[in-house]
Amino acid sequence: MLEVNNLSTFYGNIQALWEVCLTVEEGEIVALIGANGAGKSTLLHTISGLIHPTSGSITFLGQRIDGLSSHTIVELGISHIPEGRRLFTDMSVRENMEMGAYPKRAWSQKDQTLEQIYQTFPILKERAGQLARTLSGGEQQMVAMGRGLMSRPKLCIIDEPSNGLAPRLVLEVFQIIESLREQGITIFLIEQNVRHTLEIADRAYVLENGRVTLDGTCKELLKSDHVRKAYLGL
Amino acid sequence: METVLDVVVAGLLLGGIFALISIGLSLQYGVARVLNVAHGEFIMIGAFVTWVLFEAGVNPLISLMIVGPGAFIIGFILYQAMFNYIRIKAPSLDAFEGNSILAAFGLLFVIQYIALIIWGSNIHGYTYLASPIHLGTVTVATNRLVTLGFTVVISVIFYIFLALTRLGKAIRAAAQDPATAGLMGVNIKRVLAICFGFGALMAGVAGVLLSMCYPINASMGLHYTIIAIVVVVLGGMGSIVGSFIGGFILGIVGSIVTYFDPGLSMVAYYLIFIILLLVRPKGIMGK
Ligand SMILES: Nc1ncnc2c1ncn2[C@@H]1O[C@H](COP(=O)(O)OP(=O)(O)OP(=O)(O)O)[C@@H](O)[C@H]1O
Ligand SMILES: [Mg+2]
Repeated sequence: MLEVNNLSTFYGNIQALWEVCLTVEEGEIVALIGANGAGKSTLLHTISGLIHPTSGSITFLGQRIDGLSSHTIVELGISHIPEGRRLFTDMSVRENMEMGAYPKRAWSQKDQTLEQIYQTFPILKERAGQLARTLSGGEQQMVAMGRGLMSRPKLCIIDEPSNGLAPRLVLEVFQIIESLREQGITIFLIEQNVRHTLEIADRAYVLENGRVTLDGTCKELLKSDHVRKAYLGL
Repeated sequence: METVLDVVVAGLLLGGIFALISIGLSLQYGVARVLNVAHGEFIMIGAFVTWVLFEAGVNPLISLMIVGPGAFIIGFILYQAMFNYIRIKAPSLDAFEGNSILAAFGLLFVIQYIALIIWGSNIHGYTYLASPIHLGTVTVATNRLVTLGFTVVISVIFYIFLALTRLGKAIRAAAQDPATAGLMGVNIKRVLAICFGFGALMAGVAGVLLSMCYPINASMGLHYTIIAIVVVVLGGMGSIVGSFIGGFILGIVGSIVTYFDPGLSMVAYYLIFIILLLVRPKGIMGK
């Protein structure tokens, strides 16, 4: 579904990604793990067109998407749920959700989509009229995820959804991500919470200093000494 | 008592124009991030086009329907062709703001000198709907009342547009976080150009309305640009409601000061500006 090939991205003169290769197949949950500053968000930004790669290619459903701008990429069916939620804080929860349905095709069905999403996130219905800025951190993450689903994506790329949440909410977030897969949405997930991530994902890639250093099924990675030492603290 | 009422009414009439031009600048500066110092030149061109058309027998209210869309299209193209190019080339938002001010200064001089070449530096004017209307003890010219009506109606329609429509919401989202709005599917380049176009539209329309009430000349623009900047800061950057209220506040202040000494109104505006920057730099509606 998604193929990233020899991707290199620079910030000015500084190279942040070095010839990254990875694939995500339809129906999978694929995880990307790595330390702070490894380049995880940079990779997601490159996929969703916020920044453009210097070399390499990104293919989605057989179509080259590197070089396209982010609004076109959403329309093709990739939704990027960004790190740090990035809500429109001066808009209501409902308006944030509507913004998620901005592409024309999604806009025409936004009321039905909203009802479906309210079933996964009942709290959003309760808070619909409230300004996003007045929500708790956990509620804000729910809005960010709900908003990202409003475009009816085929592939959701999610950047550290459990960051800063209480343990109970972390579990909830992971449950929701698993339920998205059941709804037919493919997931590419970035997480610092490696243990939970490797439990729900099918495969994972390890990114270190901008390079993919390891990849495999989660079972294999859980057995790897390097992963156990560096990411699970065992 | 009667003079007080006269002064307040005059302030409201003036305030409507201030509100309209400030909402326009607020869109250009608050959303599209261009501190358009050539804003007043769009007002001047709107006023002159209306005067020229009036001399040719065209009703100013018809000119309004021509100048508004015309200014929008020019503003839209200007952003796409010039400011967007500067935005893409700039390494950061701050650099873009700086560079775009310089470009807007260039625009100011180009437009103003072209107007001076065509129309000279003389004062022009025409009479339209000048008959007085009596509202209780206060007497106002019909054209001023029409002007106030248009400014309020346009502002309210625009507010509703921002609050309720798909494009209006995209504009508000882009004002808060352009990159994330892009992730939602908003074509940022287009939306920013539309905002710039709306700003030009409001300036052009304000020019049409001004020409119905006041004499015009080719160097009138900067005066209004400065007023709009003061109001945008007074109202809070990017806040449409703030610009609307701020416009009326400044109109009333201007009217009071003018009652004592017309020469002091600009001084009063600058004073408000300086006091505001010291006391509440984020403005009335700022966060
Ligand atoms: N806008 C930018 N300009 C310059 N350098 C940047 C920029 N954004 C990120 N970087 C650099 O690129 C590298 C990778 O950053 P990135 O945000 O992708 O890391 P990350 O893996 O997402 O980290 P975290 O887990 O902390 O979110 C870092 O060294 C960072 O300093
Ligand atoms: Mg990151």
